[in-house]
Amino acid sequence: MRYRSQEVAYWYFAVAMLLFGLQLVFGLLAATKYLGPDPLLYILPFDVAKVIHTNLLIVWVLTGFMGATYWMVPDESRTELYSVKLAYAQLGLWVLMGVTAVIGYFFRYGTGNKLLEQPLPHKIAIVVVMLMFLYNIGMTIRKSGRFTTTEGVLLGGLGLAAVLYVPALLEFENYSISIFYRWWTIHLWVEGVWEMIQGGFLAYLLIRLSGADREVMEKWLYVIVGLVFIAGIIGTAHHYYWVGVPSYWLPIGGIFSALEPLALLGMAVYAYTAMRRAGLSHPNTLALHWTLGSAVFTLFGAGVLGLAHTWPSVNKWTHGTLITAMHGHAAFYGAYAMIVMAMITYALPSITPGRREGGTALGYWAFWLQVGGMFGMTMAFAAAGIGQVYLERILGLGYLDAQLKIQVHFLMLLATATVFSTGVGMFVWDFFRFRPKFELAADADDARAANAIAAGSA
Amino acid sequence: MNKKQTRFFAFAASGVAALAFIGMTLHSHTRFGELTNAQNITPAVVHGKDVWHKYNCINCHTLFGEGAYYAPDLTKITQHRGAAYLQAYMRDPSKFYDENRHRRLMPKQDLSEQEITDLILFLDWVSKVDNQNWPPRPILVVGASIPGSDFSAQQQTANAIQGGAQPPGARPVNPDLNPIALGQALFRKVAPACVACHSVADGVNMAGPSLAGIGARAKERIAAAEYTGQAKDAAAYIRESIEKPSAYVVPGAMYSANGQSFMPTTYAKDLKPEQIEQLVAYLSSLE
Ligand code: HEC
Ligand code: HEC
Ligand code: HEM
Ligand code: HEM
Ligand SMILES: [Fe+2]
Repeated sequence: MRYRSQEVAYWYFAVAMLLFGLQLVFGLLAATKYLGPDPLLYILPFDVAKVIHTNLLIVWVLTGFMGATYWMVPDESRTELYSVKLAYAQLGLWVLMGVTAVIGYFFRYGTGNKLLEQPLPHKIAIVVVMLMFLYNIGMTIRKSGRFTTTEGVLLGGLGLAAVLYVPALLEFENYSISIFYRWWTIHLWVEGVWEMIQGGFLAYLLIRLSGADREVMEKWLYVIVGLVFIAGIIGTAHHYYWVGVPSYWLPIGGIFSALEPLALLGMAVYAYTAMRRAGLSHPNTLALHWTLGSAVFTLFGAGVLGLAHTWPSVNKWTHGTLITAMHGHAAFYGAYAMIVMAMITYALPSITPGRREGGTALGYWAFWLQVGGMFGMTMAFAAAGIGQVYLERILGLGYLDAQLKIQVHFLMLLATATVFSTGVGMFVWDFFRFRPKFELAADADDARAANAIAAGSA
Repeated sequence: MNKKQTRFFAFAASGVAALAFIGMTLHSHTRFGELTNAQNITPAVVHGKDVWHKYNCINCHTLFGEGAYYAPDLTKITQHRGAAYLQAYMRDPSKFYDENRHRRLMPKQDLSEQEITDLILFLDWVSKVDNQNWPPRPILVVGASIPGSDFSAQQQTANAIQGGAQPPGARPVNPDLNPIALGQALFRKVAPACVACHSVADGVNMAGPSLAGIGARAKERIAAAEYTGQAKDAAAYIRESIEKPSAYVVPGAMYSANGQSFMPTTYAKDLKPEQIEQLVAYLSSLE
């Protein structure tokens, strides 16, 4: 820790970790209901378990983003945060919003609109929190007068994420039109501005961990951002095929969304070459695992598995099946869960001094069990999804009878999810088992980075 | 390439893409009305949409293929089920499905009668939106046999050449075929599709009774004391079942309420007389 105010990041991370654990409880519950019969049918039916699962996901990932930003901006701008108080007030309001939203879902208090179930008061609270956050970060940078490209990309992503939440506040009488704009939030988040956020963290981590040259890294970061948006904006149309829009969206959505993996491939190559060139000079090799892991798993889950069903003539058959769940899990995990864990793993040794900087053995177990478990879950969803598409969509068996025939894959899902959850449990335990000590340290990383460049170019 | 140039690329690429996207969005707005039959979005349909949201149906079901994957897609449900059926089903799903058989059950949603009525109107509006004919083949709620695969051995051989839009085992239909063959194709194709509720496999009762052996059973039906309809022979019984389902209702809690059959009453008006005859010919052949 180089700046005292970076300690706020720790509390954001702590909240994120708790909510992550809770998210999995509801995921496991939902998955168990596939096997049925459901003894909780009138206490916690599938729909409630699923809403809580996905909403906790969004809340903890955003909490992680905010914490990681509060960690990174002082480093980049070389200054204390504008207001620590504001950061804590923001966290308080955010947690209050999250907790009351989840309690409300138990009573079906929500909008019943996929992934945007937050009731209006909560949506307003979310907007307020985002404004507090952006104000605090903006003022910090203004105060310091130092604004790096890496930071700019991160902030651009965060700011645009707030802007794109606005369509979620609109209501339309025409259900097709409301679907149209729902994707302006959901798709343009995960396949647009959140990728900017991921790119910003990735560049920060690579510069710190590999000591790669900042000018070069930031130059390529712009290229990645350009690629994300060329394909990603119009690629929104891969959600428009079957909802009541003019037919030209089909080829357009097909072509542009098929280009989306290019940016993800770019990101993976970016991370890999930075490491190759500059060498593994940084002692925190565990953070390095998470950083590279995120880039690679994104390419797999979002790039490859997204591409697999994005073309209209394929999507026609797979649309709205467990194939979508397969892709949703692998993509979300690789791109956003892993990048948050990369930032946490990078920051943690300097907040909790008791721990080995290279990562604890438990930390490595957590990494590999999670990656292996999530890969297995993806395969289980894939097998179930292919079975569903073939039996229900192609052969024409009834939905319920087709689901009965793919039960074995739900067992596989639960088995692999247990491995995954063990990994998450270890990560969370490893997070909390060392007590934080908020002490200032010398700027070791910058010196190390300079050495690494010297070594790398030699 | 230097940083300035790549920054220009990032901004220019994003700007151009955003402009093109907004342009197409504006154009789409000029077409939504016609594609979605916006003139039919009555206050009742809007209320039905609110009911859909209020009860969180989207987190079990998909609609337009979007939602959760725990329960069947409902985009075209009103083309498979009549309003009377859906009204009764929404009151209490457990009267229609057995949780131990399919390992899932829709919990009772406690909707008011008005909510159910409007919900059905909303779902009916959804089913008529021009959505590029998705799903490409009907998605059924139940059915353990492959539709169209229940042919005789002779018909199976004739099926060697398959039509693109039909399930494996189905065969292309041309108007010179025997009325029985045409009726068999109609059984799958009319809206609401007969296959969504009836199987022709023995003992497979879905939303409607199995029609295996209906040609023979029809004779028993009209001879029985409880028979309330007008038919004098098997063909007339089947015709009556299609045109006036409630003339006589097959006993069964999930088949009717207050003497009203849950089978849609729209066929007499929507099907051409020769189509009804073809269906009758096909079903009469199931002895
Ligand atoms: C907890 C999950 C869940 C929720 C919530 C839910 N459903 Fe269902 N629904 C199911 C399941 C499972 C089935 C399959 C048939 C059965 O088991 O009853 C089903 C079947 C249906 C069917 C088809 C019945 C048939 O035989 O054709 C309709 C229509 C339907 N649901 C409408 C709704 C509507 C409208 C809502 C919201 C008010 C809703 N469902 C909420 C789980 C759910
Ligand atoms: C929404 C479900 C549904 C659809 C679609 C449907 N039916 Fe039915 N059908 C029923 C039900 C329920 C019954 C039993 C109650 C009754 O007698 O009307 C029934 C009864 C029948 C019977 C009498 C069976 C017997 O054992 O006496 C015949 C024949 C029949 N249907 C033919 C058809 C044909 C042909 C079609 C398509 C044109 C069709 N049905 C579509 C639900 C449906
Ligand atoms: C990090 C990036 C990504 C994340 C987090 C992600 C996540 C998701 C999620 C959660 C859904 C389900 C949404 C819903 O139904 O509400 C989805 C759907 C979809 N995604 Fe992605 N995705 C990513 C990238 C991509 C890419 C790059 C492609 C294409 C190349 C793609 C193609 C698709 C398609 C076609 C669907 C629709 C599936 C259907 O028809 O049911 N995704 N994605
Ligand atoms: C223990 C591990 C997990 C289990 C058992 C699990 C299970 C489930 C289940 C059963 C669903 C509902 C799918 C449906 O609608 O039928 C779901 C949805 C979802 N989960 Fe998980 N999950 C787990 C972990 C995660 C993680 C770690 C993430 C992200 C990082 C995640 C992201 C999602 C998303 C985005 C959806 C919505 C997908 C869609 O609607 O297409 N889940 N999960
Ligand atoms: Fe998308």
